[in-house]
Amino acid sequence: MSSESVMRNLLIVWTDFESRLNTVPIMKKLNNGRFSIEDYKELLVNHRQQVVEGSRWIARAASSITSDYLEQRSTFLKHSVTEHRDYEMLENQFCAIGGTLEEIRNAPKNIGTEIFHSYMYEQSSQQNPFHLLGSMFIIEGLGQRKAKRWGLAIKDQLDLDDKAVEFYIYHGDNDPEHMEEFEHSLNSGILEIESMGEKIVKTAKITALLYELQLREIGNY
Amino acid sequence: MSDAFITAFGEYLPGEPVDNDHIEDFIGIIGDQISKYKKMVLRQNKIVSRHYACNKDGQFEFTVAQIAAKAIEDAIDNSQADISDLEFLATSCSIHDSIIPGLASLVHGQLGADRIDISSHQSVCGSSIMAMRSAVNAIRLEEFKLACVSGSEIASRHFRPTFYEGTQHFKQENALPLEQEFLRYTLSDGAGAAIIESRPNVNAISLKVKWIKARSFANRFSTCMIGGAIKEEGRVISWGNQESLQAAIEKGCFALSQDLKLVYEMIPVWVGHYLSLVEDGLIDPEKIDHVVSHYSSESLKAEVVKLLTKAGVMIDEEKWFSNLTYKGNTGSASIFILLNELFYSGKLKVGDSVLCHVPESGQAYNSFMLLEVV
Repeated sequence: MSSESVMRNLLIVWTDFESRLNTVPIMKKLNNGRFSIEDYKELLVNHRQQVVEGSRWIARAASSITSDYLEQRSTFLKHSVTEHRDYEMLENQFCAIGGTLEEIRNAPKNIGTEIFHSYMYEQSSQQNPFHLLGSMFIIEGLGQRKAKRWGLAIKDQLDLDDKAVEFYIYHGDNDPEHMEEFEHSLNSGILEIESMGEKIVKTAKITALLYELQLREIGNY
Repeated sequence: MSDAFITAFGEYLPGEPVDNDHIEDFIGIIGDQISKYKKMVLRQNKIVSRHYACNKDGQFEFTVAQIAAKAIEDAIDNSQADISDLEFLATSCSIHDSIIPGLASLVHGQLGADRIDISSHQSVCGSSIMAMRSAVNAIRLEEFKLACVSGSEIASRHFRPTFYEGTQHFKQENALPLEQEFLRYTLSDGAGAAIIESRPNVNAISLKVKWIKARSFANRFSTCMIGGAIKEEGRVISWGNQESLQAAIEKGCFALSQDLKLVYEMIPVWVGHYLSLVEDGLIDPEKIDHVVSHYSSESLKAEVVKLLTKAGVMIDEEKWFSNLTYKGNTGSASIFILLNELFYSGKLKVGDSVLCHVPESGQAYNSFMLLEVV
């Protein structure tokens, strides 16, 4: 698969995923202006349990990369460092709207997040797991295209200040650089590995489905 | 199964072309002054000229059915057929003349055609492709030998000040929101028609319909363009559900409006639909010779071009044909008015592929049609 064909297929997966998210109950509420502070608390508690694991599976993926691909290993490691304390922003936001650190840190993962992480860790443990670029495409896409929109809608509907939606605004403003890194990684020679293009696209599809599931299962522990 | 060929087009654009300085002579001014949004909207849609079915006194000389009939008569004149050969009529429109009966009945009433079958299609711009599919499939099934499809709109009659002045919003603000002014300065009037036959023209080009692919994403997006109802917290409430006609007017049920943010959110699914057709092998961007896309404004086109380029499936801009800037955006009529001009321009050569694209922001519908010049 050529890099253009991979990009094309990833965009098909993305555009399908992005619009399908509109059918998830919590997103419907946000889109229709019916989002409450309780909804936001629940979103933060559930979202934090996903974000806190993100840099861990990226780091595990980095440790699964052999010395044949040192440049890519550096990219995965750097990416992991950049994101490994992002979840603290979600904790601060939770406290800013009346929650406590104890409450958000001790909350369990919802059943969707459980499946999401089981999959990510399992895939990260495979040798040279570059197919996880498919996952990154979906997750970074959320940061780049959706996060800021969500943040601004939440801020507007609940009349909050910037501090209370910082994570979402921050990702909207910073993730475009990550997308450039993504295109660079795709063109770094990994597509020469047999069926890697197909695997990247399939992993993106699965990640999109599991991400949607964890949003659908908010509150289901 | 038979093939279906488009053998002729026709159009009817009422009155003289109206430039940007004279729009208000026809649709009026709402409030004390020309809308502050006018310049911005015209800059975005880049329309410089359009037609209106009313005269400067605001009197309407035509109905939607009448201009559809005129476009059909023009198409018949351009074809090798006579009106008596017509067997099936499929009409399309956004808002027509009556709630009951359907537009196809009213149009047939204007035509000198006897013993024909009809089908009325109402949506927004995409109703044109819905009607087209109905006629093309009927020809393919060999139910008929000659069918006609029309698209016709008189948007301007809904843009007159009296249609807004009774709304609570106007009473409070003495002006309209961007969502309403955008449509007032984007849509205009016109009709177009196409003749579909089971055989191609003799001694002249025809367009063989290769396929029509359309998808609705209405389960994923809330209503974006609305008329005859209002949207409250994402729910559509009909004028008929208001306690009285007066209440429906006050709440703004009859003021057409479009959620502009939502339009931009729909662009990715339109692009995704195109990419899937490329991946399925139905569209080969290298083999498309003409693109006829009914984008509602130049700024939307720019957004689409950006995404297509990134995915490596952009079709050279020099192959894109449009007349929206000088004939106006006429909703369901546009695709016929676009194809009419291209078909008789001398630009089409036998063997060329023409890709038509009609997206509809009403509630996220998207359609493509591939034609081959034969």
